[in-house]
Amino acid sequence: MSDRLERLLNLTATLLDTRRPLTLDEIAERVSPSYPDDRTTRRRQFERDKETLRDLGIDISVESLDPFGQAEVGYRIRPERYYLPELDLTDEERAALHVAVTAVRLEGEDARDALLKLGGLTGEASAAVAELPASPVLGDLFDAAARRAPVRFRYRGEERDLAPYGVVLRWGHWYVVGHDRGRDAPRAFRVDRIDGDVAVGSPGDFDVPAGFDPAQLLRDDPMRFGDDRPEHARVLVDPTRAAWVVEQLGDEAVEERRDDGSVVVGLEVVNRDAFRSWVLGLLDHAEVLAPDALRADLVEWLRALANGKAS
Amino acid sequence: MSPKAVATDRLRRVLALVPWILAHPGEHLDDLASRFGMTRAALERELSLLQFCGLPPYTADRLIDVDVRGDRVTIRLAEYFERSLRLTPSEGVALLTAGRALLAVPGSDPNGPLARALDKLAGALGAGANVAVDVGGARHLDELRDAVRGGEQVEIDYYSYARDEMTTRTIDPTRVFHAFGAWYVAAYCHRAAGERLFRADRVRAVRPTGQRFEPRPDSERVEELVYHPRPDDLRVTLRLAPSARWVPETYPTEKVVDEPGGGCTVTLAVSERAFLDRLLLALGPAGEVIAPREERDAGARAARRLLARYDGL
Repeated sequence: MSDRLERLLNLTATLLDTRRPLTLDEIAERVSPSYPDDRTTRRRQFERDKETLRDLGIDISVESLDPFGQAEVGYRIRPERYYLPELDLTDEERAALHVAVTAVRLEGEDARDALLKLGGLTGEASAAVAELPASPVLGDLFDAAARRAPVRFRYRGEERDLAPYGVVLRWGHWYVVGHDRGRDAPRAFRVDRIDGDVAVGSPGDFDVPAGFDPAQLLRDDPMRFGDDRPEHARVLVDPTRAAWVVEQLGDEAVEERRDDGSVVVGLEVVNRDAFRSWVLGLLDHAEVLAPDALRADLVEWLRALANGKAS
Repeated sequence: MSPKAVATDRLRRVLALVPWILAHPGEHLDDLASRFGMTRAALERELSLLQFCGLPPYTADRLIDVDVRGDRVTIRLAEYFERSLRLTPSEGVALLTAGRALLAVPGSDPNGPLARALDKLAGALGAGANVAVDVGGARHLDELRDAVRGGEQVEIDYYSYARDEMTTRTIDPTRVFHAFGAWYVAAYCHRAAGERLFRADRVRAVRPTGQRFEPRPDSERVEELVYHPRPDDLRVTLRLAPSARWVPETYPTEKVVDEPGGGCTVTLAVSERAFLDRLLLALGPAGEVIAPREERDAGARAARRLLARYDGL
């Protein structure tokens, strides 16, 4: 085990120090403890080492040594892809990060490993205050947004091309928000519903519109986020549920407070399905007053269900 | 840990350790061991290994010079490890998320050391507004947190969403935490005579009682607190259209059978009637109860109750 670690350290040092890419033969000649003489075994061991380094975030670049792409390839670690930029953290700031990553836990991630790179763990750990979801593709989406690289992924059986502006955690789920190139419109996608991997294109491919706030796309309720023609809906809510609904929508949504304690709230609907689900969630404590079209929609939906026939 | 994981873990620590010692010559071994989360013996093992590492041809002037005197260590001849390895994108997003989530909790200092650390980190990662973390809030979160801190019994008005009913209860709150997109308070409920979880955003009022309670041991695992179907809960089997795949993605299910054509059949535990009503109302034609027999028309019954409000139409 120590032999392997010694070789991994020497390999990293050698590839980081070299000015030109080294072929596998050159690497085997230099790095100690050396790789086996047998070419197949040597190649296999080197590939395994490369993978271990990649798991840690060390990026070994593979470069052609021949302008015609005929000869063997060479390997090196580009310093700009290895070194952490100078962060200049104080121990007080490190301690605050230590508290943060122990108070807020991301599913399946131990962010304490990341803190080692930033100068270790100082101060005390905290008791868990929050557990947040994570996703294997979250890092790629975040990185693509930071480098302004387009992404392509499968979502509900469809291929989507997106200029990702950012990732947002909201309502307990991660969303990637950006400009959907196929639809030519702003879109948000639930990250945990992306099928498989995310392909990342070339960086610097788009500009994020000035003043764009990724959270804004999601700030409104889901029923205000969609493709339907905008309609202003008015909903009557019973006294027993009024306070709860007002808290959810904000005071500004209240259009009328009645003497019996019920309220009429107003909202902009651009997603009829989400609006219907929201009203139905209030069971028989709410009623759509206007517009007629939305009221009729709901009634038709309920009648189909009441009569047991598919609509 | 697998041999591969052990190698990765050791390498990770060494690559973080070396730049730190280079920048802080003469650090005490005990301080280093605690900073990098290792035992002193493990630290000494890695330091002796480092003496054999360096650049080809591994002559004295090319090997890392590790100088341990008493309890203090200095490293020379390792300028290529002068700076730490950069963060991977997942590490970066994990740190920013944890930090921003904690900053969003009421009571955090928006200009304190955490905020400063996150600014530096976001700058280095090229991440400004492209990560947003919203953990929401609830009107009575602060009062509930104060009650936990002070070990004070409180009376709450609570809306049970699953049961669709308002209740008033006396609780001994032991913990306030965020999970699954919402804030919860874990408490001993005197009305239920047992441990219960309350969604903080459904707490309508908090009234101090002036009584103190003795803290009870508290369960650490959030998931276990949040979801525990009882054996005698009703089990309902639904046939779902392909458009209703969100049901097994959203709710804990006991069985999911994929059907040809993209739909599926799911069985889930239903502890409260209102939960089933809402689910069936939202599903409409995309969902159908197939068992138990007496629940087959549960959706139709719920729909008729709602329709009563629209009778004039």
